[in-house]
Amino acid sequence: MVGTQHFWDREAFNGAVDKVKELGGEVLPVDGGRDNQVHADNHDIFLTNKVDAVISILGDAAVEPKFKALQEKGIPVFTVDHLSPYAINNTTSDNYYIGTTIGRYLADSLGGKGKVAFFNAFEGSLRICGIRAQLAKYVLKDYPGIEIVQPELAEAFANAPEDARKKTLDLLTQYPKGTLDAIHVACWDQPAIGVVQALEETGRTEIKVTAVDAGPDTLEIIAEKDSPFVANIAQQPRKIGSTSAENVAKYFAGQKLLPQTFVDVIPVKGAEEAKKVYAELGYGKLN
Amino acid sequence: MTAPVLPLTPVSPPAGASDFLVLEAISKGFPGVQALDGAGLGVRAGEIHGVVGENGAGKSTLIKVLAGVYRPDAGRILLNGAEIETGSPDAVQAAGVRFIHQELNLVPHFTVAETIFLGQELSGPFGLRTGAMRRAAEAFLKDSLDAAIAGNRLIADLGIAERKLVQIARALIDGKARVVVFDEPTAPLSHTEIEHLFRAIDALARRGIAMIYVSHYLSEITRICHRVSVLRNGRNVGLVDPVGPDDADRLISLMVGRDIGDLYPKRNHAAAAPWLKLTSLSQSPHYADVDLELRRGEIVGLAGLIGSGREELVDTIVGLARPASGSISIDGRPLRSGSTAAAAGRGLAHVPRDRRNDGLVLAMNVADNINLASLEAVSTGGFVRRGAATTRAQQSAEALDIRPKTVSTAARLLSGGNQQKVVLARGLATGASLFVLDEPTIGVDVGAKAEIYALIERLAAEGAAVLVSSSDPAELLGLCDRILVLLRGRIVAEVTPETTDLDRLVALTTGGDAAGGIAA
Amino acid sequence: MSAILAIGRPQLKSAFASVVPLAIFLALLGYFGLRAPGFLEPATLILILKQAIPTAVLGLGLSIVVIAGGDDVVAGGIDLSVPSIAVLSAAIIADQLANHGSAAVTAVALGFAAAIAAGAANALLVTRVGMTPLLATLATSTAYIGLSKVVTANRRIDLSDPLIVTLRDGSILGLPLGLAIATGLAVTAHFAVHRSRWGLRLQAVGGNRDAAEIAGLKVRRFLAQSFLIAGAFGGAASLFVLARGSGSTPGVAETLLMETVLATFLGAAFSPRRVVTVWGAVLGAILVSALSIGFGSVGVDVFWTGCIKGGLILIVVAASALARRSGT
Repeated sequence: MVGTQHFWDREAFNGAVDKVKELGGEVLPVDGGRDNQVHADNHDIFLTNKVDAVISILGDAAVEPKFKALQEKGIPVFTVDHLSPYAINNTTSDNYYIGTTIGRYLADSLGGKGKVAFFNAFEGSLRICGIRAQLAKYVLKDYPGIEIVQPELAEAFANAPEDARKKTLDLLTQYPKGTLDAIHVACWDQPAIGVVQALEETGRTEIKVTAVDAGPDTLEIIAEKDSPFVANIAQQPRKIGSTSAENVAKYFAGQKLLPQTFVDVIPVKGAEEAKKVYAELGYGKLN
Repeated sequence: MTAPVLPLTPVSPPAGASDFLVLEAISKGFPGVQALDGAGLGVRAGEIHGVVGENGAGKSTLIKVLAGVYRPDAGRILLNGAEIETGSPDAVQAAGVRFIHQELNLVPHFTVAETIFLGQELSGPFGLRTGAMRRAAEAFLKDSLDAAIAGNRLIADLGIAERKLVQIARALIDGKARVVVFDEPTAPLSHTEIEHLFRAIDALARRGIAMIYVSHYLSEITRICHRVSVLRNGRNVGLVDPVGPDDADRLISLMVGRDIGDLYPKRNHAAAAPWLKLTSLSQSPHYADVDLELRRGEIVGLAGLIGSGREELVDTIVGLARPASGSISIDGRPLRSGSTAAAAGRGLAHVPRDRRNDGLVLAMNVADNINLASLEAVSTGGFVRRGAATTRAQQSAEALDIRPKTVSTAARLLSGGNQQKVVLARGLATGASLFVLDEPTIGVDVGAKAEIYALIERLAAEGAAVLVSSSDPAELLGLCDRILVLLRGRIVAEVTPETTDLDRLVALTTGGDAAGGIAA
Repeated sequence: MSAILAIGRPQLKSAFASVVPLAIFLALLGYFGLRAPGFLEPATLILILKQAIPTAVLGLGLSIVVIAGGDDVVAGGIDLSVPSIAVLSAAIIADQLANHGSAAVTAVALGFAAAIAAGAANALLVTRVGMTPLLATLATSTAYIGLSKVVTANRRIDLSDPLIVTLRDGSILGLPLGLAIATGLAVTAHFAVHRSRWGLRLQAVGGNRDAAEIAGLKVRRFLAQSFLIAGAFGGAASLFVLARGSGSTPGVAETLLMETVLATFLGAAFSPRRVVTVWGAVLGAILVSALSIGFGSVGVDVFWTGCIKGGLILIVVAASALARRSGT
């Protein structure tokens, strides 16, 4: 697991751990503390401990040599949100649907024209982020009135909300009122928390915010009255984690697995839908 | 026990032989001081030539001129008849003059061999030749200094005397040394260790090396040196040739011989009850079994050379150091040792010897420095009342005649004497009952000295107990009611100015006094 | 007459101070071996060594600065910017390879030039401007990280250049290539510092500056050289950082800094003379990496691992302070 700092990470992790225990397995958990290098190095621990299988959640290219070493030692690797030639199966959300849908919602929220800033640090380094960002841009191509601000912003991987808050404040000084219409976080939504904070601090809530993930924390923000945060795509991290664990069990039972298993996502547009999805995913009830 | 007999017979260099090293009519002035005024020195090959004089006589300036640290205003230096460039340490080094400084300046985690060969290492295609250096270092120590020290031992594991020998070996290892200058080489050493060092120095003399031996310890000078030059006020006042064990008195009278005059105030002290009491205070290796009683209204002096344990004893009394055993009490109640705060709480004011580093906050102004130790007197609820603070500081600055009179002047801009007055003013402001003054007039001009003496006298007259530690015997005789003499960590005598003259006090501190003897 | 003799208590304290860190480590390693069966196998050892490479190479640079400047933690020699130099150099190399299509040689040369320039800036600040190394390198460290963010726009850059892949996966005489090169660097540094004339003088400068000056050594030149060399090791480490991460990632300097400082001063605790040494820094890096793998193997939470590493720094620095107090 690359980290357990925020909801998605924790849920995917717990989903996998709980399911493995439920199925009677033993878990050796490691946590990269949202540092991709530590996450990669942690795979060495699995190698020395001769585990039976590895579920690896997220991670960048630094893990590839580690997967290769595990494969050479005959230890099967199952990934979550990370496509690798050395993995048996990757369990992930339907990122294609995420990308096109959030692209459409973004265009809708802009009324078809305006300027949007992208937080897009991982388009090049994480494949899932590449899919989500590029498909959103693919949709935007059909809206010639929409312009993506260049250069794109690069958020931090760890402590993202605070980092994004600062970067948004800088962005807002650069683009005074009337020159920026939306901010889109292309691959997740932890930075969006900081973005909304910055907009509220400066009273620039006319700027719309869109993002991807929709855990309870961001759904709550969207559900607020007159929230600038207008659209999101809800993933089901716990289900992703447990599905991956089930795939491990199927593999050992001799069943044939597809290279990818997709878990459904639920688009969220506006406060009312946020409240509905919040209840649907079992996070509780919002008023 | 008696002083050990020197196990060596000094070889006299040929009498009348020409001097190998000559310092000729050297003059060197500093702003306000003429440190050297035509002083000279002639040293023969194979001779151990002593240089003595009181503090400020010009010994260290003369040595620094020879070392090239200072360029003299006048005079020249000849080595074997050839003039060498002055003011250039490299030229002096190249000419074969080596200095054994009082400070050891060794790297604690180096081996003996590494230390000796530093700067002229033996190196081969595979790097340092550790084995060769170790063997060469051991052989050199054995042959040249008559010392058996393993070359692979760490400096940190050596005794002080062995470190001294390593320091000497390092200066001589290149084989080009023709003159060696020793500056207080025995200060940190015990008697047995001194004998060892003397054997090494004697071995060098037999090899024809010219040596200059600077020391305060006249008993050593008279035992090891062939001839002795005496300096006073930057001039030569005598050459004792040859020097023998009975010449200590002669040296002292040459060294001293100045008029104390009415620099010191008249003493008028009514003795009161004992205030400060030290009982068998010991801290090895610095001092041992020190007993001392000091009454209110009394000024007691501590005399002793550098290395006598005097500084360490003072540090212990004021709480900067902890004694290994023994006790300190003030007004009959024991004082918690090793805490300056506890000492201050019991009314002790300390005037440190290094006032620039320890006594004053140089960046602060005079008023803040004066008030520093007694801020509660000018504060309300934790806040300093600036007006009251400045007024009080102004009053005490005027009372002590601190110049400039504006107390907002930064302390670093004051002269030495006025800085010292600020430190004294701070002690006064705390209403202290016990003053410990460490070298109160060091680096202070004569005019300011008289004022400081008057101030110290006033402290005693107003009922404070005053302990003065000083390296200037004349100052102690002029100022104190009683003087305790420390020699190699022990109190060897207690004298009063009425019964003791300067010669005798100097003799006591230098161990050159036959009657008093060496600490037994 | 009695010479007043020193008594033996300080030695006891110093012996205690030297044994504590070693005992802790042996106990921990033993514990890992018991709890995690695969921990004491050769394959694990190779993994530990491979993971230690970037820290060890940075530790070589840092240890040379500490040796030349003296190991007083505040006033002595320290270079907090070595990891930042590595990150900056890595960023430049990755940017050149991925975004400018430069040849590997050009990219590496540019990265190294930046590393050397960064070391020279440190040297200048310390020896010419007269800043304390701690403050100077703290400041430059922030600047170098900032520069690396400018270069990469704070984004990860993936690399699959043959140079980087070879360094990561290649092997020579059965040893992983990176390990062989790092060993070569360590041996060279050890020879230069502990077996050569220059090295002895460097040690003297750090051991007692006055003694070095009396021996006629140009103290400032040695100090400046140490910072330059540290910069060069920062440059060398950048290649290993790139190989390990298969590219340049923002935010790795912090972890590297903590591990490098820990490794370097940890090494001092194991050296017989109780001083920072080149091989001590390497050993320290290996131990730090063994701890990381060990803690993970027995399932210790990553946040606890950070806490425990911090505690170890404390113990080691405290032990070295104790040793110093009883030393002279």
